[in-house]
Amino acid sequence: MIRLMGVHKSFGDLEVLRGIDLHVVKSEVVVIIGPSGSGKSTMLRCMNALEPIQRGTILIEGVDITDPKTDVNKVREKIGMVFQSFNLFPHKTALENIMLAPLKVQKKPREQVEHIARELLAKVGLAEKADSYPDQLSGGQQQRVAIARALAMQPDMMLFDEVTSALDPELVAEVLNVMRDLALGGMTMVVVTHEMGFAREVGTRLIFMDGGSIVEEGDPREMIAHPQEERTKRFLGMVL
Amino acid sequence: MDALQRYYFNWDIIKDTVPLLLRTLPTVAELLALGLLFAFIWGLTLSLMRLSRFRVLRWFAVVYIDFFRGLPLLLLLIFIYSGLAIVGADTGIDALILPPTIAAVSAFAICYAAYSAEVFRAGIESIPKGQTEAARSLGMTYGQAMRYVILPQALKTVIPPLTNELVALIKDTSLASVISVPELLFRAKEKMGVVANPTPLTVAAVVYVVFTIPLIRLAARLERRQKQPRAGTQIPADMAAQLPKGGGLL
Repeated sequence: MIRLMGVHKSFGDLEVLRGIDLHVVKSEVVVIIGPSGSGKSTMLRCMNALEPIQRGTILIEGVDITDPKTDVNKVREKIGMVFQSFNLFPHKTALENIMLAPLKVQKKPREQVEHIARELLAKVGLAEKADSYPDQLSGGQQQRVAIARALAMQPDMMLFDEVTSALDPELVAEVLNVMRDLALGGMTMVVVTHEMGFAREVGTRLIFMDGGSIVEEGDPREMIAHPQEERTKRFLGMVL
Repeated sequence: MDALQRYYFNWDIIKDTVPLLLRTLPTVAELLALGLLFAFIWGLTLSLMRLSRFRVLRWFAVVYIDFFRGLPLLLLLIFIYSGLAIVGADTGIDALILPPTIAAVSAFAICYAAYSAEVFRAGIESIPKGQTEAARSLGMTYGQAMRYVILPQALKTVIPPLTNELVALIKDTSLASVISVPELLFRAKEKMGVVANPTPLTVAAVVYVVFTIPLIRLAARLERRQKQPRAGTQIPADMAAQLPKGGGLL
């Protein structure tokens, strides 16, 4: 579904991705960990062309998104993304946040979109918050609305960029629960996170990145218990 | 004390002048409404060009904005009215001979578009980059993200500074007196000549500040209200102003 081949990315002189090869198949839940500045969020952002890359190829369902002829807007409809800072639209209610893209991008009829949106709100446990504005919601609630908003486009895969990092500890679980349900439902997911519990329970593959490269990857439980690489051991020793 | 009253607050003249000046208000309103309407439409367009990824549009917008911010409005006014009329009369191209009101509205629109373009640009740039990213990641085009996500938020943040532009234009409508638009200052000056007494100017001054001071207070209040930090993802305007300029839009 997602294929990265020899991806290099620099911000000016700073090389943040040094040749990434990664293949994510359907219904996988790939969890990416690593110290800050390791390039994990950048890699995620490259996957839906929020960041341009300097070298390499990124295929999404076989479509090369680095090809200038590709309509990235079409590809992005297939990829849901959830951000650390929620990025809900503050001038719209929870329901309107969810409905906006299906209405304007997919141009679906309003009744159908509203029906889907209300179902998704119920799914993330916020049916009664439909008419609340983002600043009336807690961080955890905002993030769940953001997940529902991404799901409303009926994407084939979801990218999660440190979605619990900005949350108070007691709000983390409600977001992780939604993500766990999504994974159990067979959604293809790439998750950048520091939540090792989530990686262990829900992840089908764990990737450790450092210095812009993939250092080690494998089965999450196996890798957390018996990391092979020295850098992985050191990092896991610090976060566990 | 008596002299002061006789020359500047002469009751008999005030009684005459007030109705005379109030009758000019529709003209002032027309200059304002049309001037601002075109200035804001054109100014918003310029700000979008200024932020465009196409170099030619950016370049044009920068040159336009700098030029008309640097040009005296009065000069432009006289140029559009008298400057064009002379050429029109000379060459027989009647379209160049503009009625004074239309000349004034054009000059206001041209200059105030340049001022307001900078206001709109600041407003658009004050919206956190994450808003654009969220919109684009949902499959929206640049135009859709602008229209449904960025502009509705940006236009709210620019209401206070645009109110200040409105105040500035209320005062600048008086420039139109130079090209004989029968507005407030024109009639006041006329009356001053007739009665040989500056009291009509006092009356005009009062009329101007009766409209401008409440708007100045209103703008200040709106500005204060927006500065109040809100819960959630809102970034205060003064912090947002420090966010990286340019390249913030995909």
